[in-house]
Amino acid sequence: MHAVDMRRRRFAAAAAATIAAIAGATGARRSFAAPGVYTVVIDGFAFKPAELTVARGDTVVWRNDDPVPHTATAKGVFDSGSIAAGASWKYVAKKPGRYPYVCTFHPIMKGTLVVR
Amino acid sequence: MKPLQLAAIAVLAATSLAVQAQGAGPTDPQIAAIVVTANQVDIDAGKLAEARSHNKDVREFGKMMVTDHTGVNKAAVALVTKLHVKPEDNPTAESLKKGGEENIAHLKTLKGHAFDTAYIDHEVTYHEAVIDAIDKTLIPSAQNAELKALLVKVRPAFVAHLDRAKELQAKLGKM
Repeated sequence: MHAVDMRRRRFAAAAAATIAAIAGATGARRSFAAPGVYTVVIDGFAFKPAELTVARGDTVVWRNDDPVPHTATAKGVFDSGSIAAGASWKYVAKKPGRYPYVCTFHPIMKGTLVVR
Repeated sequence: MKPLQLAAIAVLAATSLAVQAQGAGPTDPQIAAIVVTANQVDIDAGKLAEARSHNKDVREFGKMMVTDHTGVNKAAVALVTKLHVKPEDNPTAESLKKGGEENIAHLKTLKGHAFDTAYIDHEVTYHEAVIDAIDKTLIPSAQNAELKALLVKVRPAFVAHLDRAKELQAKLGKM
């Protein structure tokens, strides 16, 4: 094998390793990243999206776009109380888990918050 | 079936028939009047239930009817005001109003469990009939896209109410 070819190969391998390292670091950094804000829109008597997955420390905002009040209530975990038409309510996700919730006024409305 | 339930069904059946007889659905100003009247009728009945019932579930249901139908009406009035649609009285809105008044007059003669049962039975029939009218008459007839969108948006309110009314109906039936 020619010496130049050998160097190119080494360079290529090193470059690939560097890219992999950066990618790995980026992936790992996610857990240290600034907490995100996610919005669940309440529209037409439904939570949209019906299921949302967030990381611990992220903020979830429920925004009520309906003309009537609603709640987002996971008994024993979080309870917005009445969210007026056009209003919002915020919750910072704490404990990891899978939390089904309802609107206590209209229990036909169901959603799930997953905290990783 | 009780006479009042029959009357309520007759009103809504008459709605469809009247609409068909005209050869076309109600106009947007007529739809606006129907929506506002339908909500108002249920607000009035809800207020009576809140004041008269001794059953916590029934009172809470009445309160929800007042809150939700007031909210829907506010949204409807805001929209028709914005669209410069002036609600126009029509036979359907008239008969809804009359049916509502008859219902309240009847409920006022009742007490206790009889009141609760009559109120909730009427709520079941009423919401079924309104959903039917929304699906078969109001949404298909609405010309303005925003008015149509509002009807689509508030339809689930009536479904949620019907669901809860049926639950209460079953519960009251066992008492």
